[in-house]
Amino acid sequence: MPDLGVDLGNLKLGGPVLAASGTFGYGTDVPLLDRAKVGAIVSKGIFLRPRPGNAPVRIAETPSGMLNAIGLQGPGVEALIRDYCPLWAQWEVPVLVNLNGESADEYGELAARLDGVPGVAGFEINISCPNVEQGGIYFGNDPRAAAEVTAAVRRRTQLPVWVKLTPMVPDIGVIARACVGAGADALCAVNTFVGMAIDLRERRPRLAFKTGGLSGPAIRPLAVHLAHQAARAVSIPVIGIGGIMCAEDALEFLIAGCAAVQVGTATFVDPRAIARVHDGIGEYLERSGLATLAGLPRYLPRD
Amino acid sequence: MHELTAEVVSVRQRGEHGFWVTGFAAAEVAESVRAGQFVNILLRPGPLLRRPFSVYTASAEGVVEVIYKPVGEGTELLASLRIGDRASLLGPLGRPFSFDSAWGSVALVSGGLGVAPMPLAARDAKAAGLRVVWVHGARTSGELQSEWSGDELVEATDDGSAGFHGTAVAAVPSGVGAVLACGPNRMLAAVAERWPEAQVAVETYMGCGTGVCLGCAVPKLDGAYDRACKEGPVYRAAEVDWAALPSQLHYAVA
Repeated sequence: MPDLGVDLGNLKLGGPVLAASGTFGYGTDVPLLDRAKVGAIVSKGIFLRPRPGNAPVRIAETPSGMLNAIGLQGPGVEALIRDYCPLWAQWEVPVLVNLNGESADEYGELAARLDGVPGVAGFEINISCPNVEQGGIYFGNDPRAAAEVTAAVRRRTQLPVWVKLTPMVPDIGVIARACVGAGADALCAVNTFVGMAIDLRERRPRLAFKTGGLSGPAIRPLAVHLAHQAARAVSIPVIGIGGIMCAEDALEFLIAGCAAVQVGTATFVDPRAIARVHDGIGEYLERSGLATLAGLPRYLPRD
Repeated sequence: MHELTAEVVSVRQRGEHGFWVTGFAAAEVAESVRAGQFVNILLRPGPLLRRPFSVYTASAEGVVEVIYKPVGEGTELLASLRIGDRASLLGPLGRPFSFDSAWGSVALVSGGLGVAPMPLAARDAKAAGLRVVWVHGARTSGELQSEWSGDELVEATDDGSAGFHGTAVAAVPSGVGAVLACGPNRMLAAVAERWPEAQVAVETYMGCGTGVCLGCAVPKLDGAYDRACKEGPVYRAAEVDWAALPSQLHYAVA
């Protein structure tokens, strides 16, 4: 079996297939999956305080995809530290915490609270949150705000800091470079696309929240393009995300310039999806006569 | 919990009302499933997500049946499966009904497709030594469910064309030791008013079925949202915020 290890600089992963935030809970509710094949787990998004989440209806299936508006339901950071971090500390697989806040300070406080807690291997910053203190514009849509949040976390920790980019921007390279300038160790591209589906009987949006994040194969070509653009814009690792259902899908992201990938919606369909994608990548490398994933040629022309 | 590629071994239609029953060879599920639990079925080719179905029957021969009405892409595909076809089943999932022999008797109250968990509920109730009264309601006599088990059957129709003229909830005889119910959420809300301690199986949209997507939120009166797939689908009726739970599901993938 080829070596599927991934070197992300300050974090070494056993495999290139990670569990995407919000699709894997806190790692405790995914049955049947061989956890040894999970490169890393990114936790469900966490805030400082508990959040109930949105009223139902929260999900709507669309052609080859699904919309979700869960509302970042979660127990808050203290319950995370009490209930889950001790479990993670026993696991081989690294767990990164997905950070969310209403201000840059909240992100920084979260990182400070979690830094040094056994079981926490690093952070993924969700910048697709509204900046409540600054008129509700999304951090991820503004290079200055994205950099501010990244820097707020960076100042409070030596652990790996990843930034999960939103696709809802005119030029993802601009945001990507801003995050690198603020000290990000890796970028995750991309979060869900904002979408809407209409209930013809009720003549209103199918989701109670009206809009939701679109995931699944429907977004994959869009996501491959954006991950590729991000990878061309920066020299830190980019982790590709968006509609990966099988090894071939993951390989598209890897060849397009990504160091690793995250699998999300596929886990809803097949709890073993991550292991299946991991094994399929290994088989592809073997068929291609490649001994390591690092040796996979990337299509990444430099501008 | 198991994930298995299960072969279709039976397909039958229940009467004129359009209920279909499909049976799968799924011994691991049949052995362990309890009343109120469900299987999440993957249809390929088919929609992206699995479709959850309450387990209707489970036989000693290892056959698991689900009952449904073809109303959307998933259920229409399920109805198109023929003996020998295969589908992936994930289950059994969810928290089942619980039974207490101290009740003496139990009423199983079902409306429409709410019959789904009741044959197993009757089985599990009998195993607990309970006398089983099954109360089933439908809009009209043609939609009544002809399969039942238990010690006593009470039928109710909204139009009075058969049995009790009125709702299943109104037809429940007095003196039963406990109430278990499944049906449209508005029927369950009526159950909650009359029997706050009743156990009810709710229906929601569902993503993963295993507890990670948080899509199947059930609003509770304490302000929190539970997962129907994990803490549910069976709840104590008084816990649920019925006004906040969408009362009717209908979907079709565009």
